Amino acid sequence: MIDRVEELEREKRIKAVKWVTADEIYLSGHFPGEPIMPGVLTLEGLVQSALIFLGESFTRGKIRVSLEKVERLRFKRAVLPGDRLDFLVSLTGKEGNRWKFKGKAQVGAEVAAEADVILKVDVREVGFEL
Amino acid sequence: MENREIQSILPHRYPFLLVDRILTIEPGKKATGVKNLTGNEWFFQGHHFYPPSLLLESLAQVGGIVLGSKAKIENPLVHFVGLFAGVSEFQFRRCPVQGEQITLQVELTQSLASIYRFAAEAFVGDEKVAGGQILLSFLKNPSGGPERSSAGGSG
Repeated sequence: MIDRVEELEREKRIKAVKWVTADEIYLSGHFPGEPIMPGVLTLEGLVQSALIFLGESFTRGKIRVSLEKVERLRFKRAVLPGDRLDFLVSLTGKEGNRWKFKGKAQVGAEVAAEADVILKVDVREVGFEL
Repeated sequence: MENREIQSILPHRYPFLLVDRILTIEPGKKATGVKNLTGNEWFFQGHHFYPPSLLLESLAQVGGIVLGSKAKIENPLVHFVGLFAGVSEFQFRRCPVQGEQITLQVELTQSLASIYRFAAEAFVGDEKVAGGQILLSFLKNPSGGPERSSAGGSG
């Protein structure tokens, strides 16, 4: 769901971009003759932005990340083929291995979706220290 | 309710019709549906499990059927549009995988104007894999002609 990362501040925030185009497979069924980007895939884009952010925030070891909770998610506007979706995701807190994020998906200045999510991050150290 | 009838209520089609069958339904109140994971689906190209975002969509589609089936009985000539409005306090315990059947349980808990709030839970066998609240908006389509009786859709 991510085409490009435009801004990234480690342990703070990320801005990623997805271009929405009419020949994406899921648009053929959502809906026939009336393509609208499924809202849940906008959520997927926000979560994937957070995954990239986490991947860049850990420089050592391997991480396993899972979506644990969607505290709040609201869809505000339809996203259509031709739109550019900006995913703006920032870290808002950390409790143990649970990382909290606030995400906004925007088309231009308009908010398409807002989400507060919690991701569980398990870190596995690999290799040897020299 | 078989898939063919689901398609008369929801406008969703391949590859974004994410409920296979409705086992029990009380129109306007609650329903239990199933989604099978066989491994051939498009999303398994990028994941080895059923993505949480699509699990939310499956539950929302069952919610759409709860509302759409009632609208179809009460106003068979009016076209309604359902939209996925949001999610609250939704917890994922684990992701279902290929070879599993997901049971989708959805029950209306509150309606305010055109916003409908559901308690939604997903099970694999007896194991609860996820649950929380989902919100749908459901409205008469002002531009839709009276010729279509289908309802639903979650943007």
